[in-house]
Amino acid sequence: MIPALETRDLSKHFGALYVTQDVSLRLEPGARHALIGPNGAGKTTLINLISGALSANRGSVLLGGDDITAQSQAGRVKRGLARTFQINQLFRDLTVVENVTMPILERSGIGRNIWRRASTFSHVLDEAMALLSQLHLHGDALTPVRELPYGRQRLVEIAITLGLKPSVLLLDEPAAGVPSAESHIILDVIAALPEDIAILIIEHDMEIVFQFAKSISVLVAGNVLVEGTPEEIAENQEVRAVYLGVEADG
Amino acid sequence: MTDTPSDSGFTPDARLYFRAREGWRWAEALPWIVAIAAFFVFPDYMALGTQILIAIIFALSLDLILGYAGIVTLGHAAYFGAGAYATGMLSAHLGWGEPISAMLFGGLVGAALGFLSGWVLLRYHGLTLLMLTLATAILLMEGANAAEYWTGGFDGLVGISIWPLFNHFEYDLWGHTYYWYALAVLFCCFLVARRIVHSSFGRSLVGIKGNVNRMHAIGTPVHGKLVKIYTISAGMAGIAGGLFAESNAYVTLDVMSFARSGTVLIMLVLGGTGRLYGAFLGTVVYLVLEDELAKLSPEFWEFGIGLLLVVVVLFMRGGMLGALDDLVAWARGKGKP
Ligand SMILES: Nc1ncnc2c1ncn2[C@@H]1O[C@H](COP(=O)(O)OP(=O)(O)O)[C@@H](O)[C@H]1O
Ligand SMILES: [Mg+2]
Repeated sequence: MIPALETRDLSKHFGALYVTQDVSLRLEPGARHALIGPNGAGKTTLINLISGALSANRGSVLLGGDDITAQSQAGRVKRGLARTFQINQLFRDLTVVENVTMPILERSGIGRNIWRRASTFSHVLDEAMALLSQLHLHGDALTPVRELPYGRQRLVEIAITLGLKPSVLLLDEPAAGVPSAESHIILDVIAALPEDIAILIIEHDMEIVFQFAKSISVLVAGNVLVEGTPEEIAENQEVRAVYLGVEADG
Repeated sequence: MTDTPSDSGFTPDARLYFRAREGWRWAEALPWIVAIAAFFVFPDYMALGTQILIAIIFALSLDLILGYAGIVTLGHAAYFGAGAYATGMLSAHLGWGEPISAMLFGGLVGAALGFLSGWVLLRYHGLTLLMLTLATAILLMEGANAAEYWTGGFDGLVGISIWPLFNHFEYDLWGHTYYWYALAVLFCCFLVARRIVHSSFGRSLVGIKGNVNRMHAIGTPVHGKLVKIYTISAGMAGIAGGLFAESNAYVTLDVMSFARSGTVLIMLVLGGTGRLYGAFLGTVVYLVLEDELAKLSPEFWEFGIGLLLVVVVLFMRGGMLGALDDLVAWARGKGKP
C-alpha cells in the first residue's frame, strides 16, 4: 500500500544544534500513530518540517507517494496535509464560526473572491456550522474566541484543521494546557475523527497515547529511538530507561 | 465543560450575524449628508473641502492595507505622488487633459507601481518592511527629482491644463466643480473599498492580520493576497494623487514626501483603522484643526495635532470612531437594566 505520509532521512539543524536526525516515518492511510519523547526531543520541529513551516536541511517528505519536499506550506495543505499547533494559533478577535470559515474559504478557493459578499456563500456557513456541531461548539458560534475557556479554544484549533478536510492530520499535543478533568473531551473528539484520515499525534499523557495509538515512535534528541506497537513500546527496556523512567518501573 | 450553555442545543444563526455586519446602517448616510450640506453652508471653503475629500480617498486607500491586512507603511505617498505626476505629465507633456481618464491613468500608474514594489516589499514584515516602504518612497522622490526634464524636478511640474469636466463644467476659482467631482470619486472609491472588505477575500485579509501563522497553515497564499490588496490600495492612492494634480494644476516633489506619508498615517490612526469611516473622521479633524490652529498660531499648530494624537493613541483604542462606538455601546448598556 502507498503510505499516506512518509519521511525519509529527514534532518534539520539550527546552527550546531541537531534537532532532527535522519528521521524516517511511515503512516498508512487511516493510521493512528503517536510520536512521543521528552521535552526538546524535536517533536514540534518534525511537524514543522513535514508541514513545510520549516525547510529541512536533508531528506524528503512524501504525501500519498508524491515527493512534496520542494512544495510550499500552502501547496502541501492543498494536497491534504493539515496540522494543529501546540500553542493555539487562532483568530482571537473573530468569532468561533468565523475561525472555522477561514479554512473552508481557502480550501474551496472562495477566499479569492474579491467582490461577492461573504454572507452570500451560504454553503460555506452551513459547512462551518455543521463542523461546529460535530465538535459540540455550535452554541459558541458567535462568541469571540478570546472569550472561550482554554479547553474549548483547543477544540477550535482542531475544528480549523478539519475545515480543510485533510487526508493526513498532524496533532501537536492537542490536550496541552487543558485541565486533566477536561482532556477526555478533546480525546473523544479525536477518537471520533473519520477513520480514513491518517493521524500523527504528539502527546505526553501516556494513558491517551496507549488508548488511541496503534503504533508509536519514540523520539529522543532528534533520533527515532524505537518504533512499534503500544505493547512493544511499553515493554522496551531502552524506552523505559530514557523516557518512561520511574513511571514504568513503579 | 459539558454543562456550559454551548451544549444546550441552541444554535445561533451565523448567517444573520454575517449579513448584519455587511448591511448598511443609517448612520452611514451621515458623512455624505455632511459633505453635501458643507457645500451649502461653507461655499467659500470649497477649495479646502476638495483637498479634504482627496485626503480622505488617500486615507481610505491606506485603511485597506493597514486596517484590514495589517501592513504598516511609511511610504504610501509614493503611490499618491506617482498618480499625481502621471496625471500631471499626461497633460503637461502629451496635452491630454480630460479629467476623468487622466485621473484613472494616475490610478493605473499607482497600481502598477504598487504591484511591482509590493511584490518585493511584502516578502518582509515588521521593522524591515517599514524601512523598505520608507526607502521606496525616498527612492521614488529622488528619481522624480533627477528626472527634471519630465517632472520639473525641484521647481515642480507646470503647464498642466485640465479640460472642463464632461466638456461642460469649467474649473472655477471657488473650487465648486472640483468639490462635486472629488465627492463623486470618493463615493465610488468608498463603494469599492466597502465591497472588498466584506468579500471573502476581505475576510481572509482580516485572517492574515489576525494570525499569519495560522493562515499559512491553512494553505493561504499570503503573499499573493497581500500583493493584491496592496496593488488596489496603491491604485486608489494614485487616483487621489491624480485628483490632487488636477485640482491644483501643479505638482511638486512634496506629493511623495515623507511628511505626506506620515500625515496620512496620523489621519487614519486619529479616525480609527479598519473601519473605513475612520479615514473620513480622522482626515476632517486633522485638516480642519490644522486650518484653525494655523490661524490661531502659525508657528505652533502642529503642537495641537501632536497633543490630540497622544490622547487618541493612549486613551482611544480604535481611534475616535472606536471611542464613539464604545460610547454608544456604553450608553445602550446603561439604558438597559
Ligand atoms: N527556530 C528555532 N531555532 C533554534 N532552535 C530551535 C528552534 N525551534 C526549536 N529549537 C530547538 O530545538 C529543540 C527541539 O524543539 P521542539 O521541536 O520544540 O521540541 P519538542 O516539541 O519535542 O518539545 C529545542 O532544543 C528547541 O530549543
Ligand atoms: Mg513541542
